[in-house]
Amino acid sequence: MNRSFTRLVAIPLAVLAFSSLAMAPLAEAGNRGHGGGGQRAAVKAGGGGGGGRQIDNSRRDARSNDVRNTSVNNVSSRNRNTNVNVNKNVNVDVDRRGCCGGWDDDYHPIATAAAVTATVAVTSAVVGSIVRSVPPNCVPVNYGGIIYQQCGSTWYQPQGGQYVVINPPY
Amino acid sequence: MKPGLFAPLLLAIALAPPLAHAQATAPSPAAQATAVDPAAIQALKDMGTYLQGLSRFRVSTDLTGERVLADGQKLQHAASAVIDVARPNKLRARMSSARSVRELIYDGRHATLYTPAQKAYSTVEFTGSLAELVARLEQRYGIEVPLADLFLWGTPAAPADGIESAMNAGQDFIGDDLCDQYAFRQGKLDWQIWIKAGGKPLPRKLVITNRADEARPQSSSLIEWNLKPGFQDAIFTFVPSKGSKSVELRALDGK
Repeated sequence: MNRSFTRLVAIPLAVLAFSSLAMAPLAEAGNRGHGGGGQRAAVKAGGGGGGGRQIDNSRRDARSNDVRNTSVNNVSSRNRNTNVNVNKNVNVDVDRRGCCGGWDDDYHPIATAAAVTATVAVTSAVVGSIVRSVPPNCVPVNYGGIIYQQCGSTWYQPQGGQYVVINPPY
Repeated sequence: MKPGLFAPLLLAIALAPPLAHAQATAPSPAAQATAVDPAAIQALKDMGTYLQGLSRFRVSTDLTGERVLADGQKLQHAASAVIDVARPNKLRARMSSARSVRELIYDGRHATLYTPAQKAYSTVEFTGSLAELVARLEQRYGIEVPLADLFLWGTPAAPADGIESAMNAGQDFIGDDLCDQYAFRQGKLDWQIWIKAGGKPLPRKLVITNRADEARPQSSSLIEWNLKPGFQDAIFTFVPSKGSKSVELRALDGK
């Protein structure tokens, strides 16, 4: 079902892909528990692009973003640094990633009350504010596996189907 | 020989070997409390060797992680991943969480990160083993590959000499699989692994406790295996979909 990821973007085609999965040999069926995960993932992919289920964090308490530490996902990493306070400099550097973000890292250490107080230039959007689309002059940059939008001195991070203004990630 | 002398002699011969054996193999309880059980280390090595010998497989995981808030309260989150692998140098991973769905595609010459929702991809040239890919992505780009340990166990990148404590924690079932449970301590990490008992020593569960924080945030990964996957090699070649755009992949500062 992963042969062509473009199938998964279009939900009707994804359904086709799943029906072919259902006809897969027994070895595939033995993986059913995880097949469920695959299906969830496909729906999310469609949702992320708009048109399916979307995460709505609008009622999320700001305290849930005030993260001082996280679990780690692997034991072999040579650059292990388990003593990183990922949100230590929340006022100046709220979204520094790279050292310690796991692949499961789904929290948004941005848009907190503390972050909103960050100094903002007159021409920049307020850090923590949310917009539906970004200006046309933005340049996407992949940093730490997240695709940010840089628009002059303003940075956006995708969140659900929207964008939130963040401090520069680097 | 008098019978009265002969009987004690026989008794001594009969008792001596087991007694000596017991003294040689049973360490004192005090030593065991902090020691590294070599059998537990060997189980890790056997699993690593077995993993490195798998040529084609699909592995998937459901992960529960935790983050610690400023006051010590913990929040759980979930993520899942499906990884298709053809050794020595092909991998496709699909990572899903509430934040995003992302894909990593490696064909042995190019590594591509693709974000379907934004129709954006970043490709960098790279040649190397899967262990080297995992290390490179983390060190240069700050990108963690799901179940990264699977590609490092059994290689020099996962040395056992950092393990300060290792013990057998008995047996347990993960799904239908009878597993041996082992517990290790190294640095600020406590971790447990459930390895399928019998001829195929596959890791079925991994729990990692981060002792760097007093709240001890913990991740738990359930691992499912398909050793006879149906995929073709074509899945390891990234072909941009119509309308998708290339995005610069920026290295971490100073890398």
